[in-house]
Amino acid sequence: MDTTRLRALLFPSLLALAVAGCAPASSGSPGPSLPGSSPTDAVPSDGGVTFPLTLTDDAGRSVTIPADPERIVSLAPSNTEIACALDACEQLVGVTDYDDYPAMTADLPEVVIAAQVDVEKVVAADPQLILAAGNELTSSSVITQLADLGYPVLVLYPEDLDELYADITLVGRALDAEAAADDLLTDMRARAQAVVEAVAGAERPRTFYEVGLFEGTIYTAGEGSFLASLISLAGGEPVTGDPLSTSLQLEDLVAADPELILLGDAAYDRSVTAASVAARPGWDGLAAVQSGQIVPILDDLVVTRPGPRIVDGLEALASAIHPERFE
Amino acid sequence: MRAATATRSHAYLARPSFTRAAVVLGGGAALVVVALLAAVAIGSVGVGIGDTAAILGRRLLALPLPESWPSSAETIIFDLRLPRVLTAMLVGGGLAMAGTVFQALLRNPMADPYIIGTAAGASLGAIAGILLPVLLPALAIGAGTAWLGLGVVHLFAFVGGLLSVLLVYSVARSNGRVPVVTLLLTGYAVSSVLAAGVALLMFMSGRALAAIFSWLMGSLASASWSGLAFAAPLLAASFGLLLVRWRRLNALLLGDAPAAHLGVDVEREKLRLTMLATLATSAAVAISGTIGFVGLVVPHLLRLTTGPDHRLLLPASILYGAALLALADLGARLAGGIPVGIVTALLGAPFFLWLLRRSRRMSGTAS
Repeated sequence: MDTTRLRALLFPSLLALAVAGCAPASSGSPGPSLPGSSPTDAVPSDGGVTFPLTLTDDAGRSVTIPADPERIVSLAPSNTEIACALDACEQLVGVTDYDDYPAMTADLPEVVIAAQVDVEKVVAADPQLILAAGNELTSSSVITQLADLGYPVLVLYPEDLDELYADITLVGRALDAEAAADDLLTDMRARAQAVVEAVAGAERPRTFYEVGLFEGTIYTAGEGSFLASLISLAGGEPVTGDPLSTSLQLEDLVAADPELILLGDAAYDRSVTAASVAARPGWDGLAAVQSGQIVPILDDLVVTRPGPRIVDGLEALASAIHPERFE
Repeated sequence: MRAATATRSHAYLARPSFTRAAVVLGGGAALVVVALLAAVAIGSVGVGIGDTAAILGRRLLALPLPESWPSSAETIIFDLRLPRVLTAMLVGGGLAMAGTVFQALLRNPMADPYIIGTAAGASLGAIAGILLPVLLPALAIGAGTAWLGLGVVHLFAFVGGLLSVLLVYSVARSNGRVPVVTLLLTGYAVSSVLAAGVALLMFMSGRALAAIFSWLMGSLASASWSGLAFAAPLLAASFGLLLVRWRRLNALLLGDAPAAHLGVDVEREKLRLTMLATLATSAAVAISGTIGFVGLVVPHLLRLTTGPDHRLLLPASILYGAALLALADLGARLAGGIPVGIVTALLGAPFFLWLLRRSRRMSGTAS
């Protein structure tokens, strides 16, 4: 275990979105399903979902929620943000120590501390629904353990904007808040569409998003990851790393020769600046360094947290990549 | 190398007095009971001592007690803490006893349960089990039950541990003999190759790295009744079969040739002891990951206080290993769920050093 991997481990949130899809995603977007109901009687009464409700989550698991959940535990900040955006903040009885948005969630009981789920505390919170994160953001052994104890555990792992929309719809059903989910999605779609239209037809600069640089290993958007797809939507051509480790070798970065460098890690480390990047050995030949196109992204949290605020992140990316179109 | 030379002295092999045996085993049993009660009663969520006792009485002894506690308390005590504490005890006992056996068998004070390839083989197996559904998503789709199925990880770790030792043993064997030094060196070489595989898989693992890391550090966080049901019979069988072999272990301490003169079928006995200790180690590792330190140090601690007679050493190592790991895991839980291997090393190593220095001063030997 070398320091690089240790440090990468200690900053789980940094890598959250930079990872490509390794969750066993089902074909197409993971939509909700109601087994046993024919299309004719699947029409719910106004604003109502019928419980018990069986949904399929992003890990392909079938999850049955016995009743409209009044007590919810969220095991990831992105899940917390989704629940709160669907007006379920009041129902949250357990969150993580990373939670900071909306502000009230910082004061909720913490059941995940330093990326470790305290299963005893989850059980003591007596949840009727647990929102977990996929791809080992919530450890798979914890998911199995909680599911074996009989809790409905919904695993969310959106890998692009469309899958996030599907997840919001999914949580909307689980919380019997379909109308709120529809309103939220209408707003998110409109804002994302506005970004896409604003950058349409523009040059697409080769864009390297620096998630982190630990002991010489460069972490960026993994190939096929949510972050890479956001950069594409924002009008850039993402320079991607390995789909699993999200790392990139300096040689590959030099070969890809980015025209624009976005410093996501500048949000957490003030010593990462355009000047420090230019001073790194081997980086001075990059087109972006030569032309001075190095932009710190202080909104990194919004860019890398797959919640409703991801459209804020998309807007931040687009205005960093195409400032001329957002004046 | 003091232990190696000291264990060859005949004075060390004098039969322990009945009183000393009673004190050591009685103390160990008492410590196990105290550790069990403390580790079940204490945790990150407070459940009153009365409620804890009542829940255990109701579930284990079927006492007709009224339910005066929230159902979450019952889940915490009976489904989370009790299987976890029992797992810690089984694993601790198994590793300590396997360490005792390997130290005697290899006549090497640095021997631990993992020394001839168990850890590397089990790690490679477990990591393959963790990564299989990640690398081949087709396997995980459709089942819808266990995501990154935990059972697969258990099974792969167990089989990986056994297979690597079988490989080491057969490579080390020549002309029907397995010299101890060859066995150690072969174990080291095979472990290195397997460890390279582990490192490669870790590098490629992406987010699953956290799961792999926690497995490698050793963790009892995912202990469950089903894991216990898998490991308990295997460990119990190896406990029983090893406990009755104390006389042969004592003979092997003297060296292969003296043991043969004492009537021990040396090569066959070495194979049996290796396989039984490996069985215990693999079963323990399968449900807890590679928890370090316990298997190395508990046998030494006991040898320093009781002498090297395996008639006493084997049962004592089970008891003290069990109590030590249960208490260490309690510490790990209270420290916010850190890997238990950190606690065993952090608290156990200084204590071991203190005991080592004290016993040297008392015996007056310098080495």
